[in-house]
Amino acid sequence: MLQLVFSVPIIAGSAVFFLPVKLGRSILMATAFLHSSITALEWFHVTGPLQTKYFSNTPEGMLVLAIMSFLFLFISLYTVFYMAEVEMSKEPIFNASMMLFLGAMSMVAVADHIIMLWVAVEATTLTSAPLIFVHRSKESLEATWKYVLICSVGIALALLGCFFIIFSMEMVNIHVPISFSSLNVVATQLNPVWLKAGFVFIVIGYGTKMGLAPMHTWLPDAHSEAPSPASALLSGALLNCAFLGVYRCHQLMFNAGLGAYSSNVLIAFGLTSMLVSAVFILNQTDYKRMLAYSSIENMGIIAVGIGIGGIAAFGAMLHMIHHSLVKSSLFLSAGNILLGYGTKSIAKTRGMLKLFPRTALTFFAGFAGISGFPPFGLFISEFLIILGAIKAGRYVAISIFILSLILIFAGASRLAMQMIFSDRENVEQLIPERWKRTLPPIVLLLTSLALVIWLPDSLYLTIQNAISSIGGTVNG
Amino acid sequence: MDPTFSFTSFLSVLTAFTMAPLFMGVILKVKAFFSGKQGPPWLIKYYTLIKLLKKGSVYSTSTTFVFKLGPIISFVTAIMLLLFFPFAGLKPVLSFHGDVVMLFYLLSLGRFFTVLAALDTASPFEGMGAAREVFFSALAEATVFVILALFFRLSGSLSFAEYFTGSHAVNLWSESAALIFLVLIALFIVLLTENSRVPVDDPATHLELTMIHEVMILDHSGPDLALIEMGAFCKMLFYSSFISCLLFPFHTGNPFVNVIVFFIIMTLIYAGIGLVESITARYKMDMVPNFILTSFALVFFATILTMEFVQ
Amino acid sequence: MIHISNILLALILLSVLLSLRSNRLMALVKLMAFQGIVVSAVPLLLETAHGVNFNLFMFFLLLVAVKGVLIPGLMYRAVKWVVVDREVEPIIGYHASLFAGLILIVFSVYVTNHLQLAMFSESHKLLLVTAITTMGAGLVLLMARRKAITQVIGYLMMENGIYLIGTALAKQVHTQYVVEFAVLLDLTVAVLVMGIVVNDINHTFDDVDTALMGQLKD
Repeated sequence: MLQLVFSVPIIAGSAVFFLPVKLGRSILMATAFLHSSITALEWFHVTGPLQTKYFSNTPEGMLVLAIMSFLFLFISLYTVFYMAEVEMSKEPIFNASMMLFLGAMSMVAVADHIIMLWVAVEATTLTSAPLIFVHRSKESLEATWKYVLICSVGIALALLGCFFIIFSMEMVNIHVPISFSSLNVVATQLNPVWLKAGFVFIVIGYGTKMGLAPMHTWLPDAHSEAPSPASALLSGALLNCAFLGVYRCHQLMFNAGLGAYSSNVLIAFGLTSMLVSAVFILNQTDYKRMLAYSSIENMGIIAVGIGIGGIAAFGAMLHMIHHSLVKSSLFLSAGNILLGYGTKSIAKTRGMLKLFPRTALTFFAGFAGISGFPPFGLFISEFLIILGAIKAGRYVAISIFILSLILIFAGASRLAMQMIFSDRENVEQLIPERWKRTLPPIVLLLTSLALVIWLPDSLYLTIQNAISSIGGTVNG
Repeated sequence: MDPTFSFTSFLSVLTAFTMAPLFMGVILKVKAFFSGKQGPPWLIKYYTLIKLLKKGSVYSTSTTFVFKLGPIISFVTAIMLLLFFPFAGLKPVLSFHGDVVMLFYLLSLGRFFTVLAALDTASPFEGMGAAREVFFSALAEATVFVILALFFRLSGSLSFAEYFTGSHAVNLWSESAALIFLVLIALFIVLLTENSRVPVDDPATHLELTMIHEVMILDHSGPDLALIEMGAFCKMLFYSSFISCLLFPFHTGNPFVNVIVFFIIMTLIYAGIGLVESITARYKMDMVPNFILTSFALVFFATILTMEFVQ
Repeated sequence: MIHISNILLALILLSVLLSLRSNRLMALVKLMAFQGIVVSAVPLLLETAHGVNFNLFMFFLLLVAVKGVLIPGLMYRAVKWVVVDREVEPIIGYHASLFAGLILIVFSVYVTNHLQLAMFSESHKLLLVTAITTMGAGLVLLMARRKAITQVIGYLMMENGIYLIGTALAKQVHTQYVVEFAVLLDLTVAVLVMGIVVNDINHTFDDVDTALMGQLKD
């Protein structure tokens, strides 16, 4: 049952609103396990390939769903221990919103109907808003307001794009259900002008959610002000969901023979995002904001990779997987740092190596991973994207790409080194680090490492199926 | 021109002229009703006019002949307006190609001399009133001329009477109902502005500083004031019947029925003005241009919409 | 006879214009209620050519209940209990906003005429013009007003415009009530969430002026 994958978290989440805190935590864990087992069943097609009027399991959807479910398992574990250490008056709301958020994101992953996908993406905004303003400080309110308003407006534009795509079908008097799977079949007959217009609006709309520059302004605020488990979920799972919306439309464009156009749009947005994050990351004073800008950069990389196609598309999909794992791990480490120091300022977080050795290790490893150092997966994916771009002859694009990578590495490494290796100067340890909070980030990092050494066949095949429709190959 | 037809036209203009003060009584009655009072008698405005005409005029020694000219010219222009107008679908007394421009400049002429007379007194209050009056009516004029251009597009005619009686008559029951609807609202705003009604100006206010029209005629007295008042009534009648022609095409064929319907609609419009005056307060002076410009925006919308759809 | 759907569209344009120049929050909320009801009625009257079916009518009632009563009711409550100062406080003045409205309508007529949609009837063209103008005006309100609550109103207006564009272009959506219901649900929850945030902003900052929120920047 495909619908179970989003209905279970939604039902559980609605119930938790009214239950006591302790019970809510156990339900959160139980939901995480249940969700990952349902996802596993769907992944191995135990229930058989299923397609209903509004939902279907596509390879790219399953990929996003699997990442999300895996992350949620560890993030919920972390959440339970994190919550035990911070006093939060509205914890039932936080737990409930986590589950509702998971439900909305799962719905995005399995939605096939164009408008249903839109409804699900908008639902992710609404269910994650309480996660950000749970502290009710001035800053978190501002971040929530920006998040809800900018994303809602952006997504409203995506609805306009959806209408344009539907119109491109009605204009030529074709009447098929308005789902991506049916539209892909008749794609070549659709009206190209309206299809292009629709695509641009959808990229602007879902791109807002995905954090593509110049629509990214909400992202650093929301990611830095949200409690760390929520930031990890936003960065690791939500951005992928928004990307999925763009990717579905890109597939439709490709099937309609307009792949070159949509590729160029994606590359342009992707490179802009990379450049913008490169500029803003240089002088960050807040480590969570730094991580948020790094998310913008990585979403840009994925967009560029998908736009270039070929082996770069494979690289982009790998990048999505590894970025989710490493970035979530980083945000969880950042949560530990925040608990330990009580501040988000880079200047005041000194001597981490001596005070919090395990956190320093996970943070440093995560940082190495996100910068694309060899043992981690992001090295391979970025390498594949560069390779694909050179094969496709996109030299200008790839020069900007490499330049941004260097700038970001230079800017971020300075800040990270300062945090980890500087001398300890009268800084107190507020809350000591604990294994149960350092374990989840370590597991996520190890998973990323493991996937580099051994990519399971089913994962390999799923990626291959997901990118074959846009002409992506594994063999170059 | 058919002489009998022309005679009925004359007759209808005369009827309208004599009934103009009565309609003002309607407004007063409606306002009284909403404030829970009994209100003045229906014929109050006639009594006022007669009272004023019985009195003598007082002229300040500092004024010149311009001051005496003001009321006369504003009265005469108001009467001339009525000659052009197709009352109740009847043929107007005067009508020629391009008379619409003439019509609205007659109005401006009347206002120009009222303003001159006000400035002639050299009273600071009257100067202030004059400035406001000229400013607001200049804004309203933009609306009026866009409306005229729009009607020209719709009916293909430049004569006021032809707007409503020609083959492409302009009214709410025609093809372009949506546009006329916008125009109606704009025209109502213009009516309120040009005739100094709430929410633009409050004729019943007690403080000179807040007045617009009333403050300009502070120094007029007796028969002069009566002329100005009568001119104002005619102007009001003109605008109201303009609106009535848009609301209802007088095509019943029976002139008698037409006249009855005409008077019913006119009463309703005046009651509408009374209603607006009862439920809204006067705007702050700096919000008034905003209000008038809305009417301009409305007719501009309507005109833009005609560019393609209605031809 | 009288073209009722065109009159409805004229009413929508009227509400758009009035909201651009409105300086009172209460008036703005009432205008939104009015606009919500008229916008909900548009699909009903466009479809009357094919006969009104029961489902369509029930959905119309639901739309009116949500867009005309529930959402404006929430806003009304927010303005009544939360906002002390009920002046709109524009960033861009009323006259400039009105002027923006005029430019918008010129633009939308231009766009509509250049789409060359032969399949469109006159009233569909007018519908498209109205829709684009409404959407644009919503964006203007969103950007040109400082109070958080006026930004919500701008968002709603934009949503109304997009809904109208959907009515003009994507007829198939209107036959799938599940989907349309889901969209409506999203809209309601969005307004609810925004309302809660506005309430909290007011508690924390003692005002709903978004200019006070400038802590987060690079």
